[in-house]
Amino acid sequence: MIIQLLTAMLGTLGFCLIFNVRERFLFPAAISGLLTWAVYLLAARFLEPVFQITLIAASFGAFLAEVMARVLKAPSTVFFIPAMIPLSPGRNLYNTLQSAVVNDEPAFALNGMMTLQYTLGIAAGMCIAWAFCYMYRKLKQQYLLKHRG
Amino acid sequence: MAQTIIDHETLIHALLDMGEAMMSCGAEVHRIEDTLTRIADAYGIREINVFVITSDITLTLGFDDGRSITRTRRIVKGESTDFTKLEKLNTLSRDLCVGRFDKLKLPEAIRAITSAPERPVKSAAGFFLASAAFAVFFGGTVWDGLVAGTVGLLIFMLKRKLGPLCLNTVIYNLLASLISGLVIGFTARFVPALHMDKIMIGDIMLLVPGIGITNAVRDMLLGDTISGSMRLLESIIWTGALACGFMAAIWLTGGIA
Repeated sequence: MIIQLLTAMLGTLGFCLIFNVRERFLFPAAISGLLTWAVYLLAARFLEPVFQITLIAASFGAFLAEVMARVLKAPSTVFFIPAMIPLSPGRNLYNTLQSAVVNDEPAFALNGMMTLQYTLGIAAGMCIAWAFCYMYRKLKQQYLLKHRG
Repeated sequence: MAQTIIDHETLIHALLDMGEAMMSCGAEVHRIEDTLTRIADAYGIREINVFVITSDITLTLGFDDGRSITRTRRIVKGESTDFTKLEKLNTLSRDLCVGRFDKLKLPEAIRAITSAPERPVKSAAGFFLASAAFAVFFGGTVWDGLVAGTVGLLIFMLKRKLGPLCLNTVIYNLLASLISGLVIGFTARFVPALHMDKIMIGDIMLLVPGIGITNAVRDMLLGDTISGSMRLLESIIWTGALACGFMAAIWLTGGIA
């Protein structure tokens, strides 16, 4: 598990280098990948369905990215894509298409369903986090407007 | 006010440049639409209509005198995610909106950001690290990681040298996965201690559009349905090409170890 967390962080760091993340954001971005994967592992201990696990991990990652973006003053994408890298369904997607190429229909259906659940879980998780962040901003605006007179 | 007036044609072209630059460094459709609207707002344009999909930007500005102009920009350049550029473009638009930036200098500022030199060493280090780390992440040994990292460097070279020669991303993915698959297959044959599948998955992570497919579904859930479905289909086709390339390499080198 320690190895997984460490490699999740290093892998995220690698992608940050490829994506040319600015040097001073490299470490926070890599940490966001690590923490998201930690939440995934934690959720996987208590929950069975892939959809729910990725949903929790992805919404955590998206929240974290928003907070980091606020604190470090950068567009949220810079932290948000790295946070999702360990979760990204690269392997599932590949397995699905591989079973299609070798004509293994049952495996194709199974892998395809997995990929679909996984991807939907991540995307829904991000959307939930964003919806709440948006709501928070709007409420804050309304509050400020009211109290300024 | 006289010195802040920029002529309409220059402004709309600068906005399209901005949108194109953001798209090519990996911004979401929603972010681009939002940024262009804000900038045009800062210039005091009365009416702004902007529609962005991954391959096209359509922009209409309506002016106080009742006239309006529309321009479109076809986007063909492949995406090469660059968060430093994205961040700079974002800062530029923010500065502009709060009036900390000379509004006449927008075209030059955009050009200065997009013409920043590449960072090949940083990127190569990233290819090595990412593929090595993911080979170990998915259960490989340290040696598997090192081989995967080396093949990652090969993929970096292929991207720079072979990429521009290819008709499109499908052909590139097919060739890149075939070549790297052959290299991995032969290496694993001569060194039986290596795990071919783990090394391959490490390098597949570099080529597979995992983030792309996630973003595609997210775009669709957020309402950018057209962009989302374009990206989704693209990702599936690219991955299909990858799978063909790697499978061919496995057959040619004699089965999975």
